[in-house]
Amino acid sequence: MAAWDLSIILEDLGPDTPPITLSVSSDLHVGGVIIKLVEKTQMKRDWSDYALWWEQKQQWLLRTAWTLEKYGIHADARLLFIPQHKPLKLGLPSGMTLKVWASFSSPVFQAVMTICRILNIRHPEELSLLRPLEEKKKKKDKDKVGEIYDLTGVRPAKGTQPVSLYNDVPAHFADSAEMEAIYKMLSVTQTQPAPEIITKQYRPSSVVDKAHINGRWLDSSRCLRQQGVQENDLLWLRFKYYSFCDIEPKYDAVRLTQLYEQARWAILLEDIDCTEEEMMLFGALQYHIGKVSQSEPERMSTNAAMENLESALQSLEVKMEGGSSSASDMLDTMMAPELSDYLKIFRPKKLTLKGYKQYWFKFQDTSISYFKSKEESVGEPIQQINLKGGEVAPDVNVASQKFLIRLLIPSPEGMNEVYLRCENEQQYAHWMAGCLLASKGKSLADSSFQSEIQSIRSFLAVQKTNSGSSSHTLASDESMNTHSLVSPRYHKKYKPKQLTPRILEAYQNISQLSMTDAMMRFLQTWQALPDFGISYVVVRFKGSRKDEVLGIASNRLIRIDLGVGDVVKTWRYNNMKQWNVNWDIRQVAIEFEGNVNVAFSCVTADCKIVHEFIGGYIFMSTRSREKSGTLNEELFHKLTGGHEAL
Amino acid sequence: MEQQSDEEVELREDEEDEEEDSDKDDQDLDKMFGAWLGELDKLTQSLDDGRPMRQKAPLRQETNMANFSYRFSIYNINEALNQGDNVDLDALMADLCSIEQELGSDPKPGGGGGGTRSGQSDAKVRQKPPAGRSSRHHVRAPSGHHGKAALNSNYSLDDITAQLEKVCVCVCLCLSVSVCVCFAPKLNSNPVMRSIVHSSRSSISSASGVSVNSASSMDSLDSVLHSEGGAPQISEHSYLDTHTSLILRNIEGKPPHLLTQEEQAAKLKADNIRVALEKIKEAQVKKLVIRVHLSDESSKTMMVDERQTVRQVLDSLLDKSHCGFSSDWSLVETINELQMERIFEDHENLVENLLNWTRDSQNRLMFTERVEKYAVFKNPQNYLLGRKETCEMAERNKEALLEECFGGGSVSVPEMEGLLWLKEDGKKSWKKRYFLLRASGIYYVPKGKAKASRDLVCFLQLDHVNVYLGQDYKNKYKAPTDYCMVLKHPQIQKKSQYIKYLCCDDVRSLQQWINSIRIAKYGKQLYINFQEATRRSEAAYDWSSLSSSSIKSGSSSSSLPESQSNHSDSGVSEMTSSSHARSQSVVSSIFSDAWRRGTQGEVTHTTHTHTVCFMCLLSTVNDP
Repeated sequence: MAAWDLSIILEDLGPDTPPITLSVSSDLHVGGVIIKLVEKTQMKRDWSDYALWWEQKQQWLLRTAWTLEKYGIHADARLLFIPQHKPLKLGLPSGMTLKVWASFSSPVFQAVMTICRILNIRHPEELSLLRPLEEKKKKKDKDKVGEIYDLTGVRPAKGTQPVSLYNDVPAHFADSAEMEAIYKMLSVTQTQPAPEIITKQYRPSSVVDKAHINGRWLDSSRCLRQQGVQENDLLWLRFKYYSFCDIEPKYDAVRLTQLYEQARWAILLEDIDCTEEEMMLFGALQYHIGKVSQSEPERMSTNAAMENLESALQSLEVKMEGGSSSASDMLDTMMAPELSDYLKIFRPKKLTLKGYKQYWFKFQDTSISYFKSKEESVGEPIQQINLKGGEVAPDVNVASQKFLIRLLIPSPEGMNEVYLRCENEQQYAHWMAGCLLASKGKSLADSSFQSEIQSIRSFLAVQKTNSGSSSHTLASDESMNTHSLVSPRYHKKYKPKQLTPRILEAYQNISQLSMTDAMMRFLQTWQALPDFGISYVVVRFKGSRKDEVLGIASNRLIRIDLGVGDVVKTWRYNNMKQWNVNWDIRQVAIEFEGNVNVAFSCVTADCKIVHEFIGGYIFMSTRSREKSGTLNEELFHKLTGGHEAL
Repeated sequence: MEQQSDEEVELREDEEDEEEDSDKDDQDLDKMFGAWLGELDKLTQSLDDGRPMRQKAPLRQETNMANFSYRFSIYNINEALNQGDNVDLDALMADLCSIEQELGSDPKPGGGGGGTRSGQSDAKVRQKPPAGRSSRHHVRAPSGHHGKAALNSNYSLDDITAQLEKVCVCVCLCLSVSVCVCFAPKLNSNPVMRSIVHSSRSSISSASGVSVNSASSMDSLDSVLHSEGGAPQISEHSYLDTHTSLILRNIEGKPPHLLTQEEQAAKLKADNIRVALEKIKEAQVKKLVIRVHLSDESSKTMMVDERQTVRQVLDSLLDKSHCGFSSDWSLVETINELQMERIFEDHENLVENLLNWTRDSQNRLMFTERVEKYAVFKNPQNYLLGRKETCEMAERNKEALLEECFGGGSVSVPEMEGLLWLKEDGKKSWKKRYFLLRASGIYYVPKGKAKASRDLVCFLQLDHVNVYLGQDYKNKYKAPTDYCMVLKHPQIQKKSQYIKYLCCDDVRSLQQWINSIRIAKYGKQLYINFQEATRRSEAAYDWSSLSSSSIKSGSSSSSLPESQSNHSDSGVSEMTSSSHARSQSVVSSIFSDAWRRGTQGEVTHTTHTHTVCFMCLLSTVNDP
């Protein structure tokens, strides 16, 4: 067989170095070419990660046993001998930017798997890489300021077995303190962004805007280099499929945190719509999570009941060892702290103009009783109010020293409205905490009483710093701005001091959650939003003259009218018989049970992306049943690969 | 706790003697026990002469109602009384006998009952003299201990024991006989409390009166325990006084794993305390007697303990009433005054709900089959898909759909929205509004706005309200249709501006709304209830009624008149006809049944023979 010259560019030698020319014959296999090449360079180094890249065809020559003829390579082929792994900048949902080694030669799906393994994120199939939005020039400089955490030195153990943890840190992060610190950052939520930052971020204002974002997903069955990604390019790692399998806080520290961050930003940037009440709850949860993550970065699962027991046990033991102290003391410690004071009460009634009246109030179990004075508190109370099952709402303004507790007490005749006025913060925090516990049917003896008081006080502190903004000398963590907890829409609608009481109201219901529980609650609330988990694509249905929106969710496809935004039709995957993509005319055709056929072409995203979404969701729905824990990569490719898979 | 203090007041007169006893000398437990035993005998006698309620009911009426947190239905009691000798005490007696047998081994059941003053209520009472008529000995008890606290540890053990016994507050309900009901838990708890005291003093872990060995300083009693650690039960018996050891017999059935103490002492200790806390709770369990009135004038009485869920009560009812084991059997609360009803959810606490009733309430608790109870799960396609029309679905797909909606980490609330009529606060007119259901509550679209989430106005959140089915509101409130639902706080029993009335155009959307609201409110719990109910009905079927042709037949007696009437009902025609063909299968046709049920709302209450009415002789009298 005739020999011919094949020139190969070795990028490492510099851009100006002439290509190395080898004399080859067509029946030489790729491995042989590489051996020849390496011999010719006379460089002693580890070439194991290097492979040939065929520039014109945008293709890796990874099958070393294939001959040049089989690949169809002739003398005019422009080949590059380059490493398969290169550093990549990775933007995480939390806003952190990492630098990691990524494979530029394996399908993005596998590249993401490796990245997730480094980051210790389980279920990598739920994530994918997204091209970031082009930032405006001005902002670019600013973004550069953000620190990039270099993880290129991190190499997790190969294999498919779960990453082993030491002290909750994966082994490959445990090498140095620095690495451990980075891992901690990954698994702990970031501090609340300043309201200005939220306002400046790009916010999709319409369904079409949201649809455009979905055009940016990388093709998971092709490699990074094939998709024009260069070394050190920035890509976003995001949860793509809104079907989260088996979140287990114990193993999923990073996954849970990043998912929470993604959800949080989706809320803050109004990527997903919610009502005002829901926004306040999201705000309260964010505040709580932020606060807890700062104060106790410790273990999440401290069982309240166990704690309760422990403390009871301890007090028992202390008392018993004390010997001389009597049993009644011991029992007292297990019982409710006393709470009684002079407060003012007001019952709004029609046609009465009575104001607040002062009485001596006493907390008992889930009730408060009041008496004319402290001295008379031995006798019959004027009235006793059982708070159990009632509603308790704050009405507080620290600046004007207003500390009201609004009670809505159920009775057979309806709800009775009662206001309690406290003199100061201290008093308010105690009584409010008591009322909150009582409304849930708990007495002051409940272990959460003290922490409830604490959380009320700390929230009041926020309001204080907000209202006295002129003397703003404190460090910024305490003077958290409530605007940073809600989307910009509410920045306009409410002043911080108007917002605080509303968030406080939502906060009282969740203030006792642990950080993990609060995050899970946030995610659950997010997932319960009607528009949750819908990825939009602008499409043109066959036979239709106008663009419409196709919403792709984990269980259904939704046809949405672009003009009005109304749901026109919903198809569920359960009823789907098959779907096809005609790659030539780039049209997706779906057949549902009952002879329903739908066909559309995609406008804002490649039809491969739509195909992948549908196939991906079907894949997601298959996995929960297996429960094997191993990822069926082959099936995923079958379902999402399209013609590349064949 | 506060209720108990209240209730203590009620029985004050009866207690006078015993209280003085205990007042003078807490230590003299025996004396107290004797007194208590006497009381018990008295009560048993009064039961025997068959007129317990008449003696006790008036007592309740004396209570100061201002803060009386537990209510009960005088109406129901009166009704019961009016039945005079028809009152079926047999069933009740059977219950009581079994309890007495339990107690039988203990000659001094009062041992538990006598010390029935809780340390907690001590504290309470000290703060709260209104209840103070009964507070005498509570208040002084602790100080008495203080005075003698200087005695040796042996004494302080007794002291503690006495204290702990007092923790075992017991509330007796209704018929005075139920006094003895209350002993059972107490008997269990007392020795436990004792042993806890031992264990914490000497680091000997013990639960349920089983002593545990460990190395630490010991007083005389502890050394007894120590020396006989190998045979803990016996040792307990030998060192304890007679009554305690007799009490101990009652707890011999305790799991033996508690005997293995060589493990980590700390863990055991924690366990023990937990057991102790549970026991304390158990000792405070309220029980109440409810009467079952079948519409054929027969009646049943049963005892419900305050911890029982609706499911548990249903189970025991099903066991007794031989009416099949369909998962559709429900406890339904009807509020006559407001013309509304609600099916209690299986996980709800029955007593808690019944205590919301007022004293003069004419509310009823019915035991009846309701297909709509679990229609959501039997035909999910008609509820969860937001469709307007009913349809059939393969079982396999139903399961998949349910799994999809309820199997994951969060429950997706059905997308319910549409125009509903709303009767506004205090107004007589009904206004149309566009309502939407979200997980966070019910919203409506304000005038002139689109239905974008951010513009929605929150109508109400579901935490504090339950959804009821309104009956005959066309007449009562001039509603546009009779398909009304009501949202209100469970405690509201009278007309109030806080009750929200909503009216749907048809029965279908009414059922969809009610069920969707239930899903939004209870989430996964509802599905768990259903699974549990199905599991039980299937198990019961396998076990008991192999002879009968199908599960359906088990419940046919009651469902038959219904379906017959439905065939003649024109409203049925809109139901899928295929369902009739398939009606042998339990799961399939229920949905159409549900619709029929809905259309037949009024009929149900007038003609149905299987409506069982619970006489709720519900009151909370404290343990004397």
